[in-house]
Amino acid sequence: MAFNITRRKFLQSASLAAVALPLSGAIASESGITRSPLEPKGSLKDETVVGGVCEMCFWRCQLVGKKRGDRLVKLEGNPKSIDNGTTICGRGNAGIQLLYDPDRLKYPLKNVGERGNPKWKRISWKEALDECGTKLKAIRDKYGPQGLCMFPHGATAKYPMHFMERTIGTHNVSEASFFQCRGIRDTAYLATIGKAPNEDVDMANAKVIFLLGCHFGENVHVSHIKRYIQGLQNGAKLIVVDPRYSASAAKSDIWVKIKPGTDTAFLLAIMNYLVVNKKYDAEFIDEYGEGFEEFKQGIKDWSLAKAAKECEIPVAQIKEVADMLAANAPNVSIHPGRHVSWYGNDFQRQRSLACLTGLLGAYFVKGGWVPGKAPKVGKTSWAKKDHGDEHNLNRNADEEPLYPYSPPGTPTDLIRDAALTGKPYPIKGAVIWGQNPIQTIPGQEKMKKVLQQMDFVMCVDVMPTDITMWADILLPEASYLERHDLIKTGTQWDFADKQQQYITARMPLVAPMFERKDHVYITNEIARRMGYEKDIPVQTVAELVDKDLSVAKLSLAQLKKEGGIHLLEGKNPYEMPDDFEIYFYNEDIADAGFPGVPTYVPVEQSPAGYARLLYGRVPLHTFNRTQNNVWLHHAMPDNPVWINDKVATKMGLKDGDVVGFINQEGVKSRTTTTVKTTPGIRTDAVFMAHGYGTANPLMSVAVNAGVDDTSLITKITVDPETGAHGMRTNFVKLTKDGKVIDIPAAV
Amino acid sequence: MVTNPKMPIQSATDHIATLYRFCAQSMQYPDSEWFSENYLSSLYGLLDALGGSAEKEKLQTAFSRSKDILEELQIEHTRLFINGLPHVAAPPYGSVYLDKTLRGKYSDDILLYYRSLGYDLAAHADLPDSLIHQLEFLSFLAEDGNREGEEEFLARFFLPWYPMFAAQVKEEAQHPFYRIIVSFIDFFTQEEKEYGVQHNEA
Ligand code: SF4
Repeated sequence: MAFNITRRKFLQSASLAAVALPLSGAIASESGITRSPLEPKGSLKDETVVGGVCEMCFWRCQLVGKKRGDRLVKLEGNPKSIDNGTTICGRGNAGIQLLYDPDRLKYPLKNVGERGNPKWKRISWKEALDECGTKLKAIRDKYGPQGLCMFPHGATAKYPMHFMERTIGTHNVSEASFFQCRGIRDTAYLATIGKAPNEDVDMANAKVIFLLGCHFGENVHVSHIKRYIQGLQNGAKLIVVDPRYSASAAKSDIWVKIKPGTDTAFLLAIMNYLVVNKKYDAEFIDEYGEGFEEFKQGIKDWSLAKAAKECEIPVAQIKEVADMLAANAPNVSIHPGRHVSWYGNDFQRQRSLACLTGLLGAYFVKGGWVPGKAPKVGKTSWAKKDHGDEHNLNRNADEEPLYPYSPPGTPTDLIRDAALTGKPYPIKGAVIWGQNPIQTIPGQEKMKKVLQQMDFVMCVDVMPTDITMWADILLPEASYLERHDLIKTGTQWDFADKQQQYITARMPLVAPMFERKDHVYITNEIARRMGYEKDIPVQTVAELVDKDLSVAKLSLAQLKKEGGIHLLEGKNPYEMPDDFEIYFYNEDIADAGFPGVPTYVPVEQSPAGYARLLYGRVPLHTFNRTQNNVWLHHAMPDNPVWINDKVATKMGLKDGDVVGFINQEGVKSRTTTTVKTTPGIRTDAVFMAHGYGTANPLMSVAVNAGVDDTSLITKITVDPETGAHGMRTNFVKLTKDGKVIDIPAAV
Repeated sequence: MVTNPKMPIQSATDHIATLYRFCAQSMQYPDSEWFSENYLSSLYGLLDALGGSAEKEKLQTAFSRSKDILEELQIEHTRLFINGLPHVAAPPYGSVYLDKTLRGKYSDDILLYYRSLGYDLAAHADLPDSLIHQLEFLSFLAEDGNREGEEEFLARFFLPWYPMFAAQVKEEAQHPFYRIIVSFIDFFTQEEKEYGVQHNEA
């Protein structure tokens, strides 16, 4: 656009005053630049700020921030840390790019378009909170608290989740970290040893490390990896069970190239072999075991040969694994895994892992499962109130749980089915906090329909992830570098070192930019508008953290003074608790109508022409959460699909070919990726990294980069004991240049 | 230096300061506090003075078709500058263009520059490299008659990124309002690249 006058002419013209004078009357905003009474400064102050706790993944490494003025220029491990130490991983380093990502949410937004096809308008916090409060209250008043549901994730979602569950009183909360990840592991171990296992294996001091599906090196959690590497350096043998030659398999002494879905058969055969050949820890079982006889009976059919056939691996290899474990027991790390929602038969597999650990006597011993003893802090939150089980979807007509080993919350599809059918009651309001259900929960179209039928959907997040396209109101949250939130406690990473404990709390390294707010502020303001003013437990997040720290006679100020981390003397981690028991056979599980002895349930096989879709991690992304990070995207811009090289040759594919996918239900991938041919994967499966293929164009770096594996997980499989999803039960063919290519069954 | 006898320097610089401030004002998030009848008539006046009758007409047509002028501009502002589809078209921060991130080194350099001339960011301010603050800063320099500073600031800080920003806005804008505003800003800053700051005939 050109004006019909030059600037110079205009500025010199007699009419300048006539034009400019009225303009001055139109200026209403205060200037953000002021004359400074200060002496002009030539440089910005450099300083190191303590108290950071990383959240580029869930591991929570302790950080310090290097600042220049108020700008964060670098993140480093906190030298006082006895956990990650001065080390942080690539993602941890890239936190700066999240903080300053231009695509991040900045102000409250209102969707004046449609759900799924939004048109955003910036609004004030007051308007946003009024709208959230009014709408949620209206739904509660009309449909009852059960008319509201929540999909939370992450450290900041706990406080609002407790508000929803404890104060408002809805059971309809589904955490991805439970129902699409580790919940099965936790309840299976709870039903076996009475404790959720975390990843608490003393790998640093183990003689054998046994990994089932865990692919360290591709997943990176600093102190966890330190334990693993230390163990390997000390000479531990490594057994890796995986259909794919993962980064861990590459370091292994034995790689068991198992057929997907058959892991439990493999574990049962090992256990039966140990029992039959008396290679188990009889003394340990005498002392701590329950139901061992029933267990022995229950697994007795599992010969090595039977498992070898089922798992498509050599008999000799199963024997070799079993002997290696027995020879090094009890100093063996049987890793409980983390993301275990695989095939819909997962509870029994996780029980098997817990039992195998018991057979080897590998609890509370060097190299075994050792949880470490962390100091106690408070747990301030919304007060618990009894809201009864009348509207608990996880109850049958006799008031018995449908999924007795469900992790806390309600199994996702009970919520989604109720929302879609209106039975037993309608669910009309959704609060989505830090979770991206579009890319975490199988059945994307179902999820979209669930959201479509809501009266109101609100999202709180740091990034405009795919789910945020479905929000009516979208609130920008302060990131982990800009807020207080959790307290983390733990021990030194290597139990061979002097026993120590630590307490740290996440503190902001910089002030939040734009209008980002923290979870306590947002929740409290909504609570006020819904009439729960009296129930508010704390006014600010700093108050909450201080209250919890006071249990350990600490405060934020004191922590800060101590460099962000408070160290205490530790306790012997190997001391066996008095009440330790291990249930090889669990009567309660049997009473609930499920196998009380670990049992293998075969899974559906690939239809002809298809291969099973497997997915996993890459070291420089935390699934979808880091996809828009410029540095990380640059390092790993897409998710090539692994295909067995012989299969690829037969299909006429070579490295770098661009392919799409179509699954067994005819659902096509929206985007494409490249082929990676390798002998390091079975012929009946393909593999890709999870979390790619963002659809939201607001994520300008991530959008359409790679393929969204979740979009292909349309068949919904549910683990019968827990209600958690099985996510490796879908099958794909490839597409190339518009043509569908079958994947040959045998080569 | 030859001065224009009809236009005392003092008042010309004040007017130029006003023009910068008006541009800065126009880039604020639209709300009824400032986006008023008064604002619009000033805008039309400016377009008239610049011979921008075609632009004025486009703007008036767009406004006459709108059910809610303010909301329409709010949506457009959000889309272009905050979080927009298909992506935030033109973040109004220099660092995004020069450092490929918000709050890059450029934003420190500009803050230090403000300070070196005796200015600072107010407590309520946005990021140091925001377009609005750069225009406000220019306005102060003009008001102080600091032409050298103005010239240096434009050359060192403003012009290295603004054309990229302006081009993106012009390409992505759906409403004529922001196209016109970025053209104003272009108009009051761009020529300096070729001629240097010349408030009066040199
Ligand atoms: S492992 Fe990496 S991403 Fe995870 S918390 Fe530690 S530094 Fe952060």
